[in-house]
Amino acid sequence: MSHLKESDITPREWFLNRRQFLRSIGAAGLLSTPLHAFADNALKFQPNPLYRPDLKLTDTEHALHYNNFYELGTGKSDPYRNADQLITDNWQVRIEGECAKPQTFDMDDLLGIEQEERIYRFRCVEGWSMVVPWIGFPLSKLLNKVEPTSKAKYVEFISILDRKNLPGQRFNILDWPYREGLRIDEAMHPLTLMATGLYGEALQNQSGAPIRLIVPWKYGFKSSKSIVTIRLVEKQPISSWMQATPSEYGFYSNVNPQVPHRRWSQAKERPLGSFFKQKTLMFNGYADEVAALYSGMDLRRHF
Amino acid sequence: MPLAVKLLIFSLLCALPAVDLGWKLLQDNLGANPVETLEHTTGDWAIYFLLLTLSISPLQQLFVPKWPIPMHLIRRVLGLSAFVYALLHLAVYFIFDMGLDIDEAVQDIATRPFIMIGMTALILLIPLAVTSTQGWQKRLKRRWQQLHKLIYPITFLGILHYALLVKADLFMPLLYLLLFSVLMLLRQFKLPRLR
Repeated sequence: MSHLKESDITPREWFLNRRQFLRSIGAAGLLSTPLHAFADNALKFQPNPLYRPDLKLTDTEHALHYNNFYELGTGKSDPYRNADQLITDNWQVRIEGECAKPQTFDMDDLLGIEQEERIYRFRCVEGWSMVVPWIGFPLSKLLNKVEPTSKAKYVEFISILDRKNLPGQRFNILDWPYREGLRIDEAMHPLTLMATGLYGEALQNQSGAPIRLIVPWKYGFKSSKSIVTIRLVEKQPISSWMQATPSEYGFYSNVNPQVPHRRWSQAKERPLGSFFKQKTLMFNGYADEVAALYSGMDLRRHF
Repeated sequence: MPLAVKLLIFSLLCALPAVDLGWKLLQDNLGANPVETLEHTTGDWAIYFLLLTLSISPLQQLFVPKWPIPMHLIRRVLGLSAFVYALLHLAVYFIFDMGLDIDEAVQDIATRPFIMIGMTALILLIPLAVTSTQGWQKRLKRRWQQLHKLIYPITFLGILHYALLVKADLFMPLLYLLLFSVLMLLRQFKLPRLR
């Protein structure tokens, strides 16, 4: 190992003994990483008892080494391998558009919002799934700060654009930067989370550091990573995936076992680490909470 | 070294990727999505072996065939390896993706073009594998050559099967397509002898 990456997990005892540890690896010539990489992982949060389902958590190893984050490469292990090429220094999130108080937040502002831990199911459109503890806060708390106007019918999320450093952005596999969108009522829904951490620690780069969206009843690609701009808009935004393949990816992309992807069934999913599949649940198991958002809608047409 | 031993060693080399997968399977070391690893690795190797099989003729023309094993035997082992990896690929799909449910598999194959294309390629490989022996080669004479030209559409279908599966990044299937095109193009010319 030529250098340590921010994405390398820091065992707690190393963290506690970090000065001694830094001296030892410094002597070994391994110290090419900024020191804060070892100190930044601590997050203050409270587990939210409402979101502690009796589900088996996915192995940390799997959730941190098997990712879709095309900015860092299209292979499943690319995001972990290229994690250090995502530069998150001085991160800011701009919230603009149809709102009374457009604002730019830095990470201190965002981490100043009360952080809670929630265990959610996560279902990828490709047919794999996981159960992981996110740390973050409801998006509604953030949006309320900018006071959306009545024209704010939709919310657009724009992720990082850094063609110089992000290996995946050297090719126009998707139209960069990555864009996603929600209807305003979906964005304001109590389940919709801005995540800053995972498994008790700050988000690692391959998981969409430093801040990402989590919409647990939609396919994973709706949960944008490494968000820099949130725009309140009147018209339904066109996401990167809708633009790339409109016949396969719709605006809603709710998890729905009855509506197959154009090329594969969505009736079942394979939990990470497992050999066999299990049935996919309507709205990924959140039907009680979110089905009302779509009453009267033809979910086959609005896929 | 007797030819049979050389052939055995070469065959074992071709089996290495499968042995590696089997070993990792036993160790539960196939990553977060073990079935995907099995499927993608066996599928990749089936295509590699098809492309390797296709590269033998041009190589034979370019270089005087002073190889330790006669080229037609090398090609036979490579072609059979492609078939074996394609079979393993299907087996993984049927066991883990379809849960050994024949009805589900039939429906899945019928409704998804890319699976149908892959199945077609595999089915077309069967007669080639069966008639790969010297006996069949003698029995079929001229027809053998014609029959084994099926390897061209089979390889194309294999690559198409892959291309239709990926979500956005077509780099690898396009690379395979490029290699396939080059190998097909080389067949249109009388190649010079380089050595």
